[in-house]
Amino acid sequence: MNLAIILVIAAVVALGIILRLAVTQRLQGKSSASLAGTIRPIDLAAFRNLISPSEDDYLRRRLPPAQFRAVRRERLRAMAAYVHVAGRNAAVLVRVGEAAMANGDPRIAEAAHQLVNDALLLRRNTTVALARIYLALAWPNSGFAAVRVVDRYQDVSSTAMLLGRLQNPAVPVRLSSLS
Amino acid sequence: MLQAHSFLWHYLWLAPHLLQVVLAAMVWRRGLHKLFPIFFAYLVFEAIEEFTLYGLDVIPSVSPEMFWRAFCVGLIIEGFIKLGVIGELFFHLLQPWPVIAKVGSRLITGTGTALVLLATLAAALVVPDNTHWFISGSHILQQTFYIVECGLLVFLLSFAAYFKLAWDNCAFGIALGIGILSCEHLASWAVMANGGLLDRRQLLDFLNMATYHLCVLIWFYYLLIPQKSATKFAVLLPENNLDIWNRELERLLQQ
Repeated sequence: MNLAIILVIAAVVALGIILRLAVTQRLQGKSSASLAGTIRPIDLAAFRNLISPSEDDYLRRRLPPAQFRAVRRERLRAMAAYVHVAGRNAAVLVRVGEAAMANGDPRIAEAAHQLVNDALLLRRNTTVALARIYLALAWPNSGFAAVRVVDRYQDVSSTAMLLGRLQNPAVPVRLSSLS
Repeated sequence: MLQAHSFLWHYLWLAPHLLQVVLAAMVWRRGLHKLFPIFFAYLVFEAIEEFTLYGLDVIPSVSPEMFWRAFCVGLIIEGFIKLGVIGELFFHLLQPWPVIAKVGSRLITGTGTALVLLATLAAALVVPDNTHWFISGSHILQQTFYIVECGLLVFLLSFAAYFKLAWDNCAFGIALGIGILSCEHLASWAVMANGGLLDRRQLLDFLNMATYHLCVLIWFYYLLIPQKSATKFAVLLPENNLDIWNRELERLLQQ
């Protein structure tokens, strides 16, 4: 009977998750208008500096091992914050692109499709990168590069800029400090 | 009222499946069977299966053993069809986005394998609730199928939510219906398989049938009610506001 109780609890939890996700999904479609304000720009120059292996090598040479590990952990935490925001922005851009895909203008629809594609790839990469960063926090001496995330973020930024220009040629759009 | 062979019992057994036949016909007329062939097959098979079982239940000459054998065969076929429906929903969700299709396929395969192992373990731990192996066996089989289905649907909806993938209205309705059905059926078949509520089994039957009725109505709503043209806002992307981001980063680093 214990097994039945466990399975009943699991089923109730699963039902709760399914209903919650269903409600979120419905509400998501209705709140598209306020999406733009949730994008948080990223300073790519600072991000690149943070993930630069040469910076890490320099710090490793200059600092005693214990201090290096502490600094490296701080840098990894900052890196995680950047990657987290990049992932969040990617999720927002997926929705922005999906909203724009219904546009009658084929150029806008194509740019929107490309934006969703790039944003999904970025979202996937940031998830993997975050996992690796948290792993690296346990072993600060291990090498880790999030270059692919930065590059992908730049790609998404460019696509978003293209879509933004097509939608509203008068407004400049930038999601990072580099373009 | 809540007794076997009461009016409500007959209604709840037959009405959802009659509605299902109507739904299948309308799905066919609207050409949705081309988009969701496995779900269409599920609608047709489920209706045939339940009408057959109803007939076997009410015809006095049919032995209980024959009924349960037919029930077992039906639930195995139905279980595999429903897994096919989940696969179909996953295909619909990821087909436009090949960049995450591969990782999605790997994840759902891994999740499915883990769920099969978990369901097998749960089945091994069950103490049979009936001396007839085909009765207790069918209860365990139901529990096993619903563990896998329920887990896969939670994964599917979570995956879509994580990547903010937009659901097509029909696919969303199918997923929601099967999701609710799987969760409720998992709970009730787990209770039955483990010997719970022995003297009030009919209450679980009523609960199962009522839930199924609700799910058929959900499918009706999402598949046949014309979708309101989803308001697609031209979301304008914002200008860069680096100062805000820098302040946030400084605050984070100072923590």
